[in-house]
Amino acid sequence: MIPSLPDDEVATVIETTALSKVYPGDITALDGLTVRFAPGVTGLIGANGAGKSTLIKILLGLLDPTQGMAKVLGLDSVKDGMRIRQLVGYMPEHDCLPPDVSATEFVTHMGRMSGIPAAPARERAAEALRHVGLHEERYRQIGTYSTGMKQRVKLAQALAGDPRLLLLDEPTNGLDPAGRNAMLELIAKIGEEFGISIVVASHLLGEIERICDSLVAIEAGKLLRADTIDSFTKASQLLVVEVEEGLARLEQDLTRRGLAPRAYKRSLLVPIGSDGTDDPDGTYDAVRDAVADLELPLSRLERRRHHVEELFRDESDGADLSLEAADAS
Amino acid sequence: MPAETTATRTGVIHDLGYQRYDGPRLGRAQIVRALTWHSFRAAFGLGRGAKAKIIPVIALVALCLPAVVNAFAMSRGNPRLVTYDAYQPVLRDLVMTVFVAVQAPEMVSRDLRSRVLPLYFSRPMKTIDYPVAKLLGFGAACLVMVEVPVLLLYAGTIVNVHGGAAVWAQTKELIPGLLTGLLWAVVLAAISLFLASLTGRRAFATGAVAIFFLATYTMSQILLQVENHAAQNQASTGRGPGAGPVPLALTPVNTGEKVSGLFSPFTLIDGTRTWLGSPTTADQVPKQLGAFGAVYALVLLVLVALCLTGLAARYRKASLS
Repeated sequence: MIPSLPDDEVATVIETTALSKVYPGDITALDGLTVRFAPGVTGLIGANGAGKSTLIKILLGLLDPTQGMAKVLGLDSVKDGMRIRQLVGYMPEHDCLPPDVSATEFVTHMGRMSGIPAAPARERAAEALRHVGLHEERYRQIGTYSTGMKQRVKLAQALAGDPRLLLLDEPTNGLDPAGRNAMLELIAKIGEEFGISIVVASHLLGEIERICDSLVAIEAGKLLRADTIDSFTKASQLLVVEVEEGLARLEQDLTRRGLAPRAYKRSLLVPIGSDGTDDPDGTYDAVRDAVADLELPLSRLERRRHHVEELFRDESDGADLSLEAADAS
Repeated sequence: MPAETTATRTGVIHDLGYQRYDGPRLGRAQIVRALTWHSFRAAFGLGRGAKAKIIPVIALVALCLPAVVNAFAMSRGNPRLVTYDAYQPVLRDLVMTVFVAVQAPEMVSRDLRSRVLPLYFSRPMKTIDYPVAKLLGFGAACLVMVEVPVLLLYAGTIVNVHGGAAVWAQTKELIPGLLTGLLWAVVLAAISLFLASLTGRRAFATGAVAIFFLATYTMSQILLQVENHAAQNQASTGRGPGAGPVPLALTPVNTGEKVSGLFSPFTLIDGTRTWLGSPTTADQVPKQLGAFGAVYALVLLVLVALCLTGLAARYRKASLS
């Protein structure tokens, strides 16, 4: 066990050490996973079957690991499962709502099941439903709700017990693009403004990266990469260059100047500092000179935040297929 | 935790009104109690729409009818017609079958169907707490269904008898009746919840419970009749020619008759009850069970234990899926 300093605990919401889970029949779901989740919103990225759901079950203390250990909010998942479940709200991936009760009744009941006494549970249910944007409709039976509203009820029931940490499993499942955006905004709001740490499990990297402070990517039960969004993106920033014509000529010219441009749709992506110098201005200057020399009509030149997805594609050959398919937003 | 300081800080700025809950939190036992109470209410359709209350209300009224008729008859000078312990066996068997067949799926199949269970399991309770709470809640509901008519019978009786001694005599007879009700509640709740927990399809669950109770009861009664005839024939041939049929009460009970009662929960309850000293025997089980009553008690115990084990295993499995 790693002796944890007080500061250490503060900086870690979830910590796993060599965590493995092998199901009967020799199916390995988690394979020596060692990773830490910092406070804030963390994306847990992986294709279906990567081990996300198994990890969540272990974190909730519902499944014992075959090897290794997991700590949630400083509590051991095997020994303190009950205490963890008091502090953690969980939103499952699948449908989990009875159709024949109202959202108010259901969320109240689930709050009680989290250990909130009857009267405050009712208040908190009304609050939670208001926070997820279901104030007016909350007395209606859940069966009459749209998919988006049901997802909100699922989120509200996770909030009802006043969690310190939310585990959200594929929260945008089954939603249309507008619904996805609304759900993501809601999650971001809860993370930033309610001060609740959130783990968002998803196979849609492109979708959740914008609301996450950090990312943990797993594949086949192993850690692919874990870092803050900043360090994911800082490593290589991109210049987006768009010209109305002569894209190919510009690409050649930039390559000649020692840069590494890459065509992307109808623009060029030029990694800053790809000419070997650390000076970003050098890259700007090179692009400016190239455009001027070729007398091309420049329509766009801007610094772009690197999509994490592209980083995965660059750095891990194995991962790109599963993660690439995920860009739905 | 930094999360809390963040909440306070940003809470002021944005005034979103997200409130932390600082009040007392219920422990595991209290959460189970809340779920038990919730289940108990749901067994009568309370907290649900009017439609959910129809079957429980009709069933309770039907079960109370003998008590009402008895009170009326006694007020006109008749003695008490209905016993506290046997009550009206066939009516009770049938109506309670309908009640558990309709309401046990309401208890467990609903949650399976809408896949609510993972939400329960992710809360500060253990997997076993869910079936325990359901069993306690539904057991209590069955107890109400059986005991309310018995108590009504008692109330209707004592207003029509005179003198403390008479009331005391009635009270003494009531006690085995109440204990029998307890036996009913445990047995019916255990069996019906186990059967209903096997499927999330409510119609199937209702069918399974109803068919189980009705089929086993019918089988037991047919066997009883067959064995009864066999016993009578044997008895008359034994007494020589021309002796005529033996009066039923004098017929020795053969083993076949005794065994016939082992096939239905209702006859098992009756056999166990009489073995434990409950005074009235019901027609659906052979009269002089004697020491064989212990077999009834044992089979009943094993049946209930199997159902409870099955129920626990069912939810252990569900928690991992």
